[in-house]
Amino acid sequence: MATNTIRQTAQGVPPRSPSRRRGRAEARAALLFLLPAVLLVLVFRIIPLFWGFGLSLTSATATTPGEFIGWGNYLRALDDPNFRASIANAGVVLLAVPLFVTIPMVLAILIDQGVPGRAFFRSVYFLPVVLSSVIIGSIFSIVLGFNGQLNGALKLLGIPGVDWLGQSATALPVTLVIQSWSTFGMGVLIFLAGLSTVPKDMVEAARLEGAKMWQIWWHIIIPELRPVIEFSTVITTIGLLTSMFGLIYVLTGGGPGTATTVPEYLIWAAQGRLNQPAYAAALSIILFVCTGILAWLQIRIMSRNANF
Amino acid sequence: MAGAGKRQRLALRLASIPMGLLALSCLYPMFFAVNNALKTRHDYLLDRFGLATQPTLDNFAQAWTGAHLDQYFLNSVIATVGAVLLLMVVSSMAGFALASLRFPYRRFLFIVILSSLMIPVQVVLVPYMRTMVALHLINTHIGLILSYTAFFLPFSVYMMTAFYSTLPRELIEAARIDGAKLFQVWWHVMVPLGMPALVTLGIINTLNCWNDILIALLTMQKNRTIMVGISALKGQYSDQIPLFTAGIVIAAAPIVALYVIFQRRIVSGIAAGAVKG
Amino acid sequence: MHRLKLITAVAAVLLTSPALAQEITVWDVNVDEPSHATYYAGAKAAFEAAHPGATLTFQSQPDAEYYTLLGTAFASKTGPDVIWANGGAQAKSLVGGLIPLDDKLPDLISKLVGKSAFTAPDGKLYFIPTTLQGHVVYYNKTLYKAAGLDPNKPPATWAEVTKMCDALKATKVACFMMANKEGFEAEFFLSEMANQSLTAQQQADWLTGKLHWSDAPIKAILQAWVDTAKAGWYQEGGNSQTMFMDEFTLFSQGGAGNVWGLLSNVAHWKVFEKDMGVDNVGVYPMPSPTVAADQHEGAPGVPLDGGVGYGVNKDSPNIDLAVDAVKILASPEVLANLVKDSGVVPANTLVDTSGIDSPGLKQIMGWLADRAVPTTHANSSAAELDEWHRQSQLLLNGDTTVDAAAAALDKIQAQAKPQ
Repeated sequence: MATNTIRQTAQGVPPRSPSRRRGRAEARAALLFLLPAVLLVLVFRIIPLFWGFGLSLTSATATTPGEFIGWGNYLRALDDPNFRASIANAGVVLLAVPLFVTIPMVLAILIDQGVPGRAFFRSVYFLPVVLSSVIIGSIFSIVLGFNGQLNGALKLLGIPGVDWLGQSATALPVTLVIQSWSTFGMGVLIFLAGLSTVPKDMVEAARLEGAKMWQIWWHIIIPELRPVIEFSTVITTIGLLTSMFGLIYVLTGGGPGTATTVPEYLIWAAQGRLNQPAYAAALSIILFVCTGILAWLQIRIMSRNANF
Repeated sequence: MAGAGKRQRLALRLASIPMGLLALSCLYPMFFAVNNALKTRHDYLLDRFGLATQPTLDNFAQAWTGAHLDQYFLNSVIATVGAVLLLMVVSSMAGFALASLRFPYRRFLFIVILSSLMIPVQVVLVPYMRTMVALHLINTHIGLILSYTAFFLPFSVYMMTAFYSTLPRELIEAARIDGAKLFQVWWHVMVPLGMPALVTLGIINTLNCWNDILIALLTMQKNRTIMVGISALKGQYSDQIPLFTAGIVIAAAPIVALYVIFQRRIVSGIAAGAVKG
Repeated sequence: MHRLKLITAVAAVLLTSPALAQEITVWDVNVDEPSHATYYAGAKAAFEAAHPGATLTFQSQPDAEYYTLLGTAFASKTGPDVIWANGGAQAKSLVGGLIPLDDKLPDLISKLVGKSAFTAPDGKLYFIPTTLQGHVVYYNKTLYKAAGLDPNKPPATWAEVTKMCDALKATKVACFMMANKEGFEAEFFLSEMANQSLTAQQQADWLTGKLHWSDAPIKAILQAWVDTAKAGWYQEGGNSQTMFMDEFTLFSQGGAGNVWGLLSNVAHWKVFEKDMGVDNVGVYPMPSPTVAADQHEGAPGVPLDGGVGYGVNKDSPNIDLAVDAVKILASPEVLANLVKDSGVVPANTLVDTSGIDSPGLKQIMGWLADRAVPTTHANSSAAELDEWHRQSQLLLNGDTTVDAAAAALDKIQAQAKPQ
């Protein structure tokens, strides 16, 4: 089996010549390989995170340094009904992750297996990813408006129209569908790349032995794709929690009420509209911690071999 | 056996119908954008969804010259190409180390890089500006290239690590037994084998860099990139939608072209003899 | 050729340093607007003529990121010399990074109206307003005629408004446009309803936070929001409709009989007259359900305040030059270009607007002279407005009650304007 999780790689094969000099040389080379990456990440991401944490303990605005207020911002967040609503919404969003991962995977496998038109699909599915959320949001705002095309089509079928983006019950699910539509092409691309490492002769052998299509999928292809599935799940989770802002801003403005307000939206509002960067920083830290815990849980659950 | 093959072919043919509908829905926004870019402001007001009745190229011309998009285009190209190349090199090296080599603190470093993916960008903005000012990197191309590399590195490293960890260790061991230094292993083995992933990463990062507005806005304030230029086209309450759309089309065109050309390379990665069981 | 351009550009960048040339940078979101072109050109010419060797540069900024950008710039000390801002909560929250201008430009300031949108709680003026913003109702005369209403006699009391809406509803036309996705409709509603129902003292108490959302005058407005929706005044789907620019486009196409519009620079007399024809659009100030003791029934006020303005960064290395740039941007000669080309109402009373041929504008200028009242929503804090966006959408959907909404808003108000 060619599948290697990271840990298996680490533990499975001992170095041929067990000299410690080689081990140390390897360690040195590895750290050198990692140095540019670690340096850049440290300077541009990690240190700002700590600075942000410091800011979150103050009452600073963009134009005044404010004063030290300890956990004040965090307590305020816990007490803020809008923040609590945003956390609930984040929970709903996360429930959609399996769908966000599975649909591109299925499409990619179909393309890889030779569905007619696959070259066309491969090219076209990526187009929504290329377009900015502003264009996509503008289009769907019109299509899904009360007097828009969707309700027009439904009326022809005798179904009464709904204010898809303006009703609390439908706003978030509809937004998720649009988010899925605008990002699935990326997932297809990633899974296609992953499928390029699935051994073709294994699939052929199974097919010659009479295995049905779904059997091949379930027992060969998907297990081979496990690292990619895990990667896609983690990336999708992080993406949903930190990159939906643009689309939400144009589609619903976070509304109606707090129906589509996610933590990321509140962070932007606190920073860019309310001039409360310290509060925004506190919310960012909370979001960061929650995302971290989630990703860690996902990695642990998905790599049953206690991967990393 | 023939039955299984036929059934599978039928299933695939059936699947192509919903997939085709989905593909048409993906084409529509491009059509919408191009269609509206050809309208005058007045035509757009009259009919937002219909075909442009009197198509005009004025919006494209005005966006290109009047909004300085011709200058900004070059800036976007420099920043994107530079960052994408740097990202491919750095993330490939880091992914190789994290996936295939043994060294202390490996797990810790991986977690550090992965966790930085989860830091919301808002909290980073002010220290980022201070750092850039201190390093004299504001308004420089190098500054923007380094910034993009830093911002998109966590995702890239994670992806390369995940892909490299699917490669069998025996390959790397074999190369090393031949006495190859690790750098040579990386250059001659890991990079070619990682091509499908690297190309994918190249496409994704090209998109990320090209479409970015916030980082470019902060870093290159005078000599801008194309997406910043376009978003500044739309004044506060502007009703110049066709002009704005023309800008969007100009900005999206290179990416679309790039993708259509390069997505075949991923498929050809299979033909190039990628990993066999 | 291209390579030569590139080399020259690089050389220019390398050779120019901030210390050599005196450059005043202005950040603004409307720099690329075609209708503003002569304004910026005129300001630049006047500035550079008055200060040889100095340059005035306008940096166009994307609207959506503008305040995030400003906040980041101030906090990292990388801001420009002069900033543009909308009047109201946004401008007032930025004063910490600016210098007060009362002592610098006293003559100019005495000629300006609309200053309260740019006055900080400490009473000092931190921005010079260049345009005024106000709220009136525009109506579609053709639709009025079709409903049997006199197109030249718009309603002047609440009772007349109700009658007018009933007539329009009978012809299956929406009475008022409702576009509340961004929450702006609710903001305008607040000001338009408060213009006649709040006394001058109550408006002042609102500014300081003494008047609460749950107090009778404001609560009545929340109730009116709900009641008018229930009475079927608005088209369906208002919560997913954007105001800028969709609502006004739809109004121009006959989407409703009336719309709460603006005075200045967009969604106003000039645009509507152009899109609908001068004879098809009219304007009137909005009557309130109740009339306050110091207001006159039948003569509603027009909420009026500073629209946009320019402020000077206190960290600017050239404060005096920056102040002069602001003075020029607000001067009558330069501002006249903006008025002519984009139809703004100037904040500088010395600008001559008599030459503009628009019946709507003439009426409006008449009202501004003697019927101006404060713009209630511009005197609210940003946090309250944010919360009002949400509550108004919920109220429109029937997802909450007036009491619950008022209580939530009071809580935010207490935080934002501690007493």
